Amino acid sequence: MPEPLLYLKSMGAAAIASAMFVLAMAWRKRPVSSAWLNSACVLAMGLGLALGCDVLAVRWTWPPVKGLDRFLMIVVPMALGIELIAGLQRMPRWIAWFLRASLAAAIPRILLHGSVYLTGAGNQWTRWEAGVALVVCGLLLAGTWGLLLLLSLRSEGISIPLALGLTTQCAGLTVMLAGYLKGGATAFPLAATIVATAIAAKLITMRSGIPAKLGSPAIIGIGVIGLFGVLLIGRFFGRLSTGCALALLLIPLLCWTAEVPFLRHRKPWLVGSLRLALVAIPLVVVLAGAKRDFDRNMAPLLGDMPRHDDLILEPTRKNF
Amino acid sequence: MRRLVSAWALVLVIGTAVCGGGTADAADEYAYDLVHSSVSFKARHLDISWIHGRFNEVEGKFSLDREDPAKSTFELTIKTDSVDTANKARDEHLRQPDYFDTKQFPTIEFKSKSTKPIKGGYEVTGDFTMHGTTKKITLVLMGGKEHEFKGVKRVAFSTELKLKRSDFGFDKNAIGPIGDEALIMIDCEGMRK
Repeated sequence: MPEPLLYLKSMGAAAIASAMFVLAMAWRKRPVSSAWLNSACVLAMGLGLALGCDVLAVRWTWPPVKGLDRFLMIVVPMALGIELIAGLQRMPRWIAWFLRASLAAAIPRILLHGSVYLTGAGNQWTRWEAGVALVVCGLLLAGTWGLLLLLSLRSEGISIPLALGLTTQCAGLTVMLAGYLKGGATAFPLAATIVATAIAAKLITMRSGIPAKLGSPAIIGIGVIGLFGVLLIGRFFGRLSTGCALALLLIPLLCWTAEVPFLRHRKPWLVGSLRLALVAIPLVVVLAGAKRDFDRNMAPLLGDMPRHDDLILEPTRKNF
Repeated sequence: MRRLVSAWALVLVIGTAVCGGGTADAADEYAYDLVHSSVSFKARHLDISWIHGRFNEVEGKFSLDREDPAKSTFELTIKTDSVDTANKARDEHLRQPDYFDTKQFPTIEFKSKSTKPIKGGYEVTGDFTMHGTTKKITLVLMGGKEHEFKGVKRVAFSTELKLKRSDFGFDKNAIGPIGDEALIMIDCEGMRK
């Protein structure tokens, strides 16, 4: 059964741990460099997510046999590690991009490992179909990640991580409404840690005078991977529809709309608000659709009986 | 003389083969007859009533050695996707990762490791794998009577098994109104291969 209070606790724990960690790290190190801030953000997100999942009573069992376990115990640590390496001051940019691309290619394979899609059990997919699906999923992840990263390097502000956090939260709700409670619940601490880390990093960049965009590649990288993981698990192991999953993955890219020439040079708060609004509107539409499907599919389980009137048969010659 | 020796050698070879074959045939192999078998279950709802369900797709085989019952083996594979509780929405819900996680764990399996004869049947200990977790369990198989029907030898067994879903890695939060404990009833009729 859904436990809203538990989800709130998990989000609170994740947000407080992430924000406090970034602020404490910055307090210890003055002046703050971009590499230092990046590392602080990565570690803060790892800590926040681990604490949030612990509050949700996630079972950490090795080897991870379920998609969600592989996401939390293999994919997320790999993403944290790669973002930590990519943020190092002397790290050539091509190595960072190569590592990110390799991770994007590997994630779908890792998440679907041992499932009917790859083992051939239940005649779900042929080998060829499985290969195409893995490539398409990898390209979608790489494309979304690359485009959001590019946008964050073009323009300052925390609207992109906030939009990503908002989308992750909605993705969690949608996956839950599609019937996969635990998979959806995992998105809540992730969303909280994205938002809290972004706000804490913004406060530090404002105080230190370093460009705000320097702290965000790690937040965006881990955020996009988190969003993708939740959606892929919801789609392939749960009952999330392909359209819904695709829409939720691509919605954060609407932040690019604010890059049109007559909007781009407006005040940052205006551009940021516009980005959030552009992301929030389709999210509401997706959520409304998911709620409608939930009401339709789950009503029989919630004890909605047909009305008594419907059960009374009109006397006809056949049933008389 | 040479012919006599050859004839004796031939008799010896054929005799050994026949005797050897006889020993191998001591255990009869049976295949699970889906038409006359069923794997059903029931679990508590709100701790006041029972929900009943069954698995429609089951495969299995067993070999029975009447002379040396310890050599008998039993195997059963249940396809989790075939869960049927007479409610489509609930069946879909049960296929989700919070319950059977049918895309990750398409089967529930039992493979015997040791068999002991008891009064009226067999006590079979083996590995039971469900939801990615394998546990050693003991099944008390009652029955074992033979019946020949239309030239095919048939043997049937029945057993009941009580399991805690939480022991097999099911999510505690998803247990909710449906009880943790489930009773599985297996009625299996085998046809000799």
